[in-house]
Amino acid sequence: MISWDRVLVVALRVVRQLKRDRRTIGMITLAPVFLMVLFGYALSGEMSGVRLGIVDVGADGEVRDHLTSVKDFEILHLGSESDAEKMISEGRLSGAVVMGKTFMRVLLDASSPQVAGLITSEAGAALQKAGDAKENTREGLLLSPASPGSYMEMEQQILPARPVMEIRYVYGYDLEMMDSVGPAVLGLVVFFFTFLMAAISFLRERTLGTLEKFMVSPLTRLEMIAGYLAGFSLFSLIQSATTLLVVIFVFGVPMRGSVLTAFLVILLLGGAALTLGSLLSNFARSEFQVVQFIPVVILPQTVLSGVWWPVQSIPASVRPISYLLPLTYSSDALRQVMLKGASIGDIIYPDLAFLAGFFIITLAAAIAMLNRKVG
Amino acid sequence: MISSKYAGPAVFARKISKRFGKLQVLKNLDIKIPNATTYCLLGPNGSGKTTFIRAIVGLIGLDGGDLRVFGEPVKGVAGLYSRIGYMTQHKALYPDLTLQENLEFFAGLYGIRGLAARKRIDELLDMVDLKPHRGRLAGDLSGGMYQRLSLACTLIHEPELLLLDEPTVGVDPRLRQTFWDYFNRLTSQGATILITTHLMDEAERCRLVGYMRDGRLEAQGSPDELKSLAGLKPDLQLWMQDESASYSAASLLADHGFSARVEEGAVRVELASESQAAEVLRLVKPLDLRMHEPTLSQAFLKLGEADR
Repeated sequence: MISWDRVLVVALRVVRQLKRDRRTIGMITLAPVFLMVLFGYALSGEMSGVRLGIVDVGADGEVRDHLTSVKDFEILHLGSESDAEKMISEGRLSGAVVMGKTFMRVLLDASSPQVAGLITSEAGAALQKAGDAKENTREGLLLSPASPGSYMEMEQQILPARPVMEIRYVYGYDLEMMDSVGPAVLGLVVFFFTFLMAAISFLRERTLGTLEKFMVSPLTRLEMIAGYLAGFSLFSLIQSATTLLVVIFVFGVPMRGSVLTAFLVILLLGGAALTLGSLLSNFARSEFQVVQFIPVVILPQTVLSGVWWPVQSIPASVRPISYLLPLTYSSDALRQVMLKGASIGDIIYPDLAFLAGFFIITLAAAIAMLNRKVG
Repeated sequence: MISSKYAGPAVFARKISKRFGKLQVLKNLDIKIPNATTYCLLGPNGSGKTTFIRAIVGLIGLDGGDLRVFGEPVKGVAGLYSRIGYMTQHKALYPDLTLQENLEFFAGLYGIRGLAARKRIDELLDMVDLKPHRGRLAGDLSGGMYQRLSLACTLIHEPELLLLDEPTVGVDPRLRQTFWDYFNRLTSQGATILITTHLMDEAERCRLVGYMRDGRLEAQGSPDELKSLAGLKPDLQLWMQDESASYSAASLLADHGFSARVEEGAVRVELASESQAAEVLRLVKPLDLRMHEPTLSQAFLKLGEADR
């Protein structure tokens, strides 16, 4: 029979300890905000200051006008194609467009696919604008400064009549990178900090000898972990609240669903992180060894759980691992709640069901390990 | 007010054994610790003292034998945890909590709250002489103060059975005396205290002493019983006028059946009991004299030699 009084005593102690540790409080509340701001700007997808050379050998005015009007480009007018090649090789230009009456050649630095992609798409858009695609031929010449002299040539016929593409968003909203990543990162920071703090806290209980003392007191293992859950949940809520505020008000990510539903997902994920931290602390002898869990436990989740890119883009051979990671489900659930306005009922299966299952299994394993380690 | 409901021995061990891998730590150990007494477990490092204490509280399972706490088989010891106080060598405390908060936390675990908790905490802080420091962080305390706080946390729920693994390391002699006064008060109220220590003068204060070696109990009894078991007797040291007088006195005493020898300029006479001192002084008239009681330490050295 669980004694809620004792759970409360442990929770109060955890809160008292954390409250006194100002640096950790700062880490808990400010680090996620810092990370979000960092991710927000890094992932905005917007480029600027791309140095593009233009070699005009009698091009159509509209093509040139389009390219010079793109605000991401810093345009440099060059006299010859060989000048452009030289400057790209030296890293002074990101690419160049050689424009003639009947052709367009795009010279690119292959070391940055994103920049190359921007130049190619804007060059294509310029051609389409010119409305004279029929006569034109575009040749792409890829330059790689890493292997000078071994240029890869690519020719591509531009179809005479391009189909007009119309884009329609199913839930009426033009998502930017941050909108999709924000909700998932919210889960990531809560998981990361709760896991680390739990692993270190349980390790300390063991090294301080307090765990052994608990074992000879009326406090049960379940009450001890429940006390930690209650104490840490308070901090997880503060952490997710500050992170949510930044995600919503700084980055303008919508909150279409209920904040309470989002918190429920976060608490369940925080619980799973705590029990996993407690379980894995059994395999560490020092705080230094706990930090070594980061590349083993946290990094695979950041890469494989669909935080930054969809799980569907992860190779099929590795994907089964993705479906075993709690962050895969929290990312999906938080996206659904925030972007689509999903209710609890919409995310029960598989997201909440998996998170609850993961929590229960790791809780049982953590309790069993506490037993074994002390015995 | 502590008073044990159980009249039999607080701890009863019969032929208990425990092996860790290839190492046999407890070898058919037999110990009986009576209720309401202070029992000191002495022995060299690795003799199995801590293993025995951990077995009593159920932290390690035994390979064989019968171990009972308050008459209950050790398997059910978890039901007795509110009656047991266990102080480990780790001095389990939270350095980032204040003294008051540490005590409040351990009080809370035993369901002691509100006014009762405040009263108990005040009493214990008084006993361990830490009252002026109650608001300080435990991590800022000196080693001895930390030790005293750890003891206070162990005593918070007035346990009937106290298991103290080296409780007075780093505690100054004056405070050690306070501890022992408190321990004696507890045993007079019915508590049983089992202490492990390396300090012989601590063992002298216990009603019963058990000497463990190599996983077995080599000897058990009151400190006086152990000394006589080791064959140790009090001796008398006599200082005579000069060296020749010393040799004459030694020879005279030997003639009267005493074991006497000249050692460092003085005559040493072994006595069967203190009452023989008067007979010695009737035979010789020294300038000065001193009576030497055998120590427990000598007893264990002697017992150890006998084992070898």
